[in-house]
Parts: sequence; C-alpha cells; structure tokens
Amino acid sequence: MRVLAIYCHPNPESLVAAARDRALRGLRSAGHEVRFTDLYADGFDPAMTADERRTHKEPGVAPELQGYADDLAWAEALVLIYPTWMSGQPAMLKGWIDRVWVAGVAWEMHEGDRTPTPKLRDLRRLVVVTTHGSSKLINSLQGESGKRTVTRSIRAMCSRRARTTWCALYGVDTCDEGDRTEFLDRVESTLAKL
Amino acid sequence: MKALVVIAHPCDDSFNHAAAARAVEGLTAAGHHVDTIDLYAEGYRAAMSYEERMAYESGDPILDPQVEEHVAQLQAAQILVFVYPTWWSSMPAILKGWLERTMVPGVGFRFDEKSGKVKPGLKHVKRIVGISTYGSPRPAVWLVNDNGRRTLMRTLRMSSGLRTRTEWFGLYGMDTATAADRTAFLARIEQRMAGV
Repeated sequence: MRVLAIYCHPNPESLVAAARDRALRGLRSAGHEVRFTDLYADGFDPAMTADERRTHKEPGVAPELQGYADDLAWAEALVLIYPTWMSGQPAMLKGWIDRVWVAGVAWEMHEGDRTPTPKLRDLRRLVVVTTHGSSKLINSLQGESGKRTVTRSIRAMCSRRARTTWCALYGVDTCDEGDRTEFLDRVESTLAKL
Repeated sequence: MKALVVIAHPCDDSFNHAAAARAVEGLTAAGHHVDTIDLYAEGYRAAMSYEERMAYESGDPILDPQVEEHVAQLQAAQILVFVYPTWWSSMPAILKGWLERTMVPGVGFRFDEKSGKVKPGLKHVKRIVGISTYGSPRPAVWLVNDNGRRTLMRTLRMSSGLRTRTEWFGLYGMDTATAADRTAFLARIEQRMAGV
C-alpha cells in the first residue's frame, strides 16, 4: 500500500518519536511504500492565512503546500503519529488538516451542491498512534475530541469503507517502563499488519 | 467581573469578529471589564516550540512574553469567551495552540505532590462561553461530534470545576444562513451577554 505517515512532536527524544521509529519499521517490514512528513522539522505553519480563508471554496492549497497536498492525494493509508494535548491533535497537526484538507484536495463542491463531495476515495486506512497524559477514563469524560476528529470528521472525506485503527497509550504521566515497551511493540506490530 | 474574549479568525472583517464585538458590547453594558485577545491580529504563534515542550514540566514553563501576558489576563478573568469558526469539527489550529501554550502546569492545573493528583488551576473562572460558526447544518455537526465545543466545555472545564457555568452559541449551516439568521444570532449574543 501507499502509506503517508505524518509525525508531529517538537521533541526528538520523546516517546512519540520512539513510536514513530517503530511505526516506520513496521511499515517497511511489511513492504509498504512510505512517504514520511515531520511537521516540526519542516517548520510547518499551522495557522490558515486570511488569503486561504477568503478563497477556501476555490480548489487548491497555498502554493508552498503543494507537496503536502500531492502526498495526501497519493496515499491509500494515512498514519498520524502525535501526542494528544487538550484532548486532541496538537495545533501543528490540526493546522496540517486545516490547510491541506482543502477544496480540490480532500473534497469538492459542484455547482448547486449543499454538501461537499469527498475526494480522497483511495484512502482506505486511517491509523492513529498517540499518547495521552491522562487515563482512559478521564479521556472518555472529556469526550475524546481528537479521536472523533479523525474517525468521523476527516474520515468522511475518505473511502466509504475506510477502516480506522486507534493505537494509543493512556496514562503516560503515571505509566511504567513496561507499559511503554508494550506500547512500542504494539505500534510496530499494528503497522506491520496494516 | 472581568471577562477575557479570545477570538481566532484570520479575516478581521469576518462574521466571527462581528460576533466577538457584540459579545464585548453586551458584557460591557453589564458592567464587566473586558479584555480581548485577537490571536491572528497579534501574530500569535500557534505551535508549542521545542524549548517550551522541554520547559513544560519544569517549574517555569512560560518562555514567551506574549504567553505571559495572556496568562496574566486569563488569571484576572472570571468570564472566558471563545469565538472561532469550527473547522473539521474542532477549533482552528491557532486557538488549539493557545490552549496548549497557555494551560501549562501552574496555570491550567498543578500537580499536587502529596496526593499525586492533578488539581484544577482555573477555579477563579465562573463562566465559560463559546461562540462558533459551522459550515454544516446542526445534525451533521452532531453526527461527527462537536469536538471544539467538547474541548472547551469538558476538557478546559476540568481546570475550572463543575461549578463553572457554560453557555454555547452556534450558528449552524453558515453557508445557507440568511441575513436574518445572522442578525438574530448577533442580537442573541449581545442580549445574553448583557445579562451575565
């Protein structure tokens, strides 16, 4: 499969960085063709500009983001690797969605349409690799915003049969070395079986 | 009381800006002192930096003078108002980044050494108000979950406590809303805020 992996964490020594390495190892061992993006290393600017907003119904990304749009259109599977902060994707990753999943890339509106037509019909697998500081219970009470953003909101622009896989470690703030090892092993085996 | 209005829309002539202005008018009419943070106009940096992430768990997690100023405004406020367009069922990156960079340990919450538990840091906040516009009609928002609303009304509210009152103003189906819908929405915001 053609796999696009998007990684988002400011600290190259973090647990999420380790998860990224294991995810990529799993994907490559299974023989997938992988394109990889490190949003922090790219210095990606997550704030949609006023110009982009004013023209958001016209197809296409800002010229400097064309490479990101091409990667997304190319992918059959998307792997998002990030820490969950304030229940959701870090601003950096939310901005990648805001600015790259635009008209002409993720969806299109035809004359007279009231709802957008999905455009990423080749995208049939969505995988999230994430860490949560708090427990599963706290995340449930907070409503798991980040999870719904992926499994419901952006998924609506993908293949009708797109499958989502949630590969998460909860309670990072209180977990031990064994939990971390188990998580990293799970990340690699999940992606090796993609 | 003191109110802090945070607005996150890239266009200064946006409907969101009009909504924020009406909220400010209402709150001012009610006798509150209102501070406003217009994230785009201030050139706010959305993404938490490497240095900030490394400082996050230290005793001194705030490195940026702009964040320090926002924290001072936040800590003085009893009413928080957020105004933003909902994109991909959630808030724009710049507002998500504001929460991440402002609600650091010592501000949004603190670790209690004795119990090992997380304690809320925004107990001074009596009311959280959200104002948002949606391209999708209300049932579609309900189906995907209103994730921005949840982040403010549940996640942020864990920092202030269950006694904090919450209020939500949503204009759904923005693309097909009539001028009358918009006018009524703005009027409702001003009227309700004048009663706070």
